[in-house]
Amino acid sequence: MDNVLEMINLTKKFGDLTAVNNVSFSVKKGELFGLLGPNGSGKTTMIKMLTGQIKPNKGSIKVLDLDVLKNPIKIREKVGIIPEQETPPSFLTAQEYLEFVAKIRKISNLEEICDKWFKLLKFEDQRNALCKDLSRGTRQKLMFAQAFLHKPQLVFIDEPLINLDPIIQRTLKDFLLDYINHGNTIFFSTHVLDIAEEICTQIGILDKGVLLHIGSIQELKKTKQHLESFFLKLVKDGEP
Amino acid sequence: MTLEILKAMIKEEWRLHTSLIGVRLFAFFPLLIFFICFIASFFLPYFRSIITTSQMFLYAHYLLILFGVRIGAFGLFGKEVMNRRFGQASLIAYSSRTFPLSERRLFLNFFVKDIIYYLFLWLIPIILGFLIATPFIGINTVSAFFACGTLFLSFLLGLSIVFFLSTLYAHSSKFLILLLVVIGITVLIFSKNLPFDIKTLVIPYSIFYQITFKKILLITLLIIVPAALSLFFIKVDYPERKKQYKNSLIDISNKIRFTVLAHYVAKDFLDLKRSEGGVGKIIFQFLFPVALTWMFLSIFSELIPSVKAIMIFSIFIGIVSSSIYNMLTAFDSFNSYMFLPVTVSTIIKSKLISFLIFNIISFVILIIASISMNQLFYFLPALFSFITISFYSLSMTVYFAGLHPSTFLYNLKIFSQYIVAVGPLLFIFTIASIINPFFMLISPVLILPSLYILKKSYKKWDNWQPLGF
Repeated sequence: MDNVLEMINLTKKFGDLTAVNNVSFSVKKGELFGLLGPNGSGKTTMIKMLTGQIKPNKGSIKVLDLDVLKNPIKIREKVGIIPEQETPPSFLTAQEYLEFVAKIRKISNLEEICDKWFKLLKFEDQRNALCKDLSRGTRQKLMFAQAFLHKPQLVFIDEPLINLDPIIQRTLKDFLLDYINHGNTIFFSTHVLDIAEEICTQIGILDKGVLLHIGSIQELKKTKQHLESFFLKLVKDGEP
Repeated sequence: MTLEILKAMIKEEWRLHTSLIGVRLFAFFPLLIFFICFIASFFLPYFRSIITTSQMFLYAHYLLILFGVRIGAFGLFGKEVMNRRFGQASLIAYSSRTFPLSERRLFLNFFVKDIIYYLFLWLIPIILGFLIATPFIGINTVSAFFACGTLFLSFLLGLSIVFFLSTLYAHSSKFLILLLVVIGITVLIFSKNLPFDIKTLVIPYSIFYQITFKKILLITLLIIVPAALSLFFIKVDYPERKKQYKNSLIDISNKIRFTVLAHYVAKDFLDLKRSEGGVGKIIFQFLFPVALTWMFLSIFSELIPSVKAIMIFSIFIGIVSSSIYNMLTAFDSFNSYMFLPVTVSTIIKSKLISFLIFNIISFVILIIASISMNQLFYFLPALFSFITISFYSLSMTVYFAGLHPSTFLYNLKIFSQYIVAVGPLLFIFTIASIINPFFMLISPVLILPSLYILKKSYKKWDNWQPLGF
């Protein structure tokens, strides 16, 4: 299976703080990769580097066979990204926002795609409301939809299911599992271990910018350890 | 007003600016303003052959009224002005839901805090710069000191009046527009046949020359009454007009598809239309100062016949119109585009297209002003002057501040560079316009370097790395 993502000796510093420290690993096509770590461990910084939003101080990154440092815009054309903090622009309606993203991504058959997402995530009644008036959960749904509009082979999701109700969480978990079954790849970061244990095929654990572990969930299950106890021991003691 | 809240808000504002710009670069900003004003004061004697000291004071009082007008439109913007300036930062001003404080009280504190900030950032440095220069430029220091007091009154007058008008707008936009139109027409019709000395209209200036109890009472009332009424009737919470909107992005994009980046431009229009205050933003930040200057120049042009009012107006409208770019960038943060295949230069280009479209308004105003001032003969040089100033200062704003003019221009280094790049040009244009308006016909030669600067700006901002994690 081909690697869709490779990073070597990736390092990012903000002044004296090393947010990501010499991290190297790769992700194969068709995986649902979960990057786990406590708050402030460097997960968001890593996703921003992998998608060309910020430049690393050291290291190289290849995404879909493209050098991210040289082709940040091309990378963002090809992948989908759901950022952790950004919300859709206040004064566009939900539908207008999807149309706006579709225009940027040069997608045709707009109406059909928009309808599909409004139905799937059950917020059709909100399609004509301004984004500033939407609840946090609905904005999160909209951000989810924008990332998948162009059916990308690889999607980066920063904290995917926070703010969403259990019904939508289930819908999205099923959607993500189905998405990877069609040969696509998902890279997501979270600190909600239950979600990672339920849907991830591979996990990486990051703490204080250092990669402590990488491996498959299957291997972990074979050792009869729960992800939570494994994670806590690793982050507290530095070893499982 | 609670002093603790005010102090906390001032601290908050300080930290917000210094975290974006750096402590030293922000702290020295007032010093820079002082220095610029001190140096600029030495050029005043050169104007004496064209306008008298008394006329200079008149303009200075007017400019301070205008300064008050520019920052006084809080009644209109309410909470949104804070949102636009600071993004979604958690500020004390937003905390009425968690603190046992009303929004009105928080807003009053915010308003007073902003006045204090503007005083220290701009007004006091400007006044001190001029005051300290007076012994060297042959202006009586005592009368200059007195002028500082009346200039401050001018600032408060502008602030108070526009605060009142913007509060009126928040209650009934139609009523305010009607009122402004009626006042404008009345002034234009009767300006030539007023039964009193025209200069007494600028009351602080009139006090400067002859202080009387009646005038002091009048100015006190004119400052206090509108401000008090505004605070009493201020509308902090705008009622939701509607919850559902017609999806117009594609329709508008299609209508302006002759522009590249039509969907970004359509978004700018929707942002402006749907945000709080709506058209009021254009009225108070652009049309109102322009109309005021137009009226001022129309009324006072007879006092200074050697100066072609339309030429001064074209310079003014050129500078003010470039601030439309600031308004357009205030709604957008590039963070909202970072996860999409969009470069900073694409967003800048789209703002420039929106800017050009909005500037059709300035063009129309210039035509009407030339006709109403009876100076159509000078329309072409005025137009060239307007286009060149607007485009040149815009290209400098883009180069130095990119998509963040309202924040980055408070950076000491950036502001000094901007002033050095734009200031001398404005000075030369003003002098040239006064000597012979037709000199301005050659001004468009500056369009080429402006285009080059814009091209360099695109490269500069595409390589820019935002701060943060």
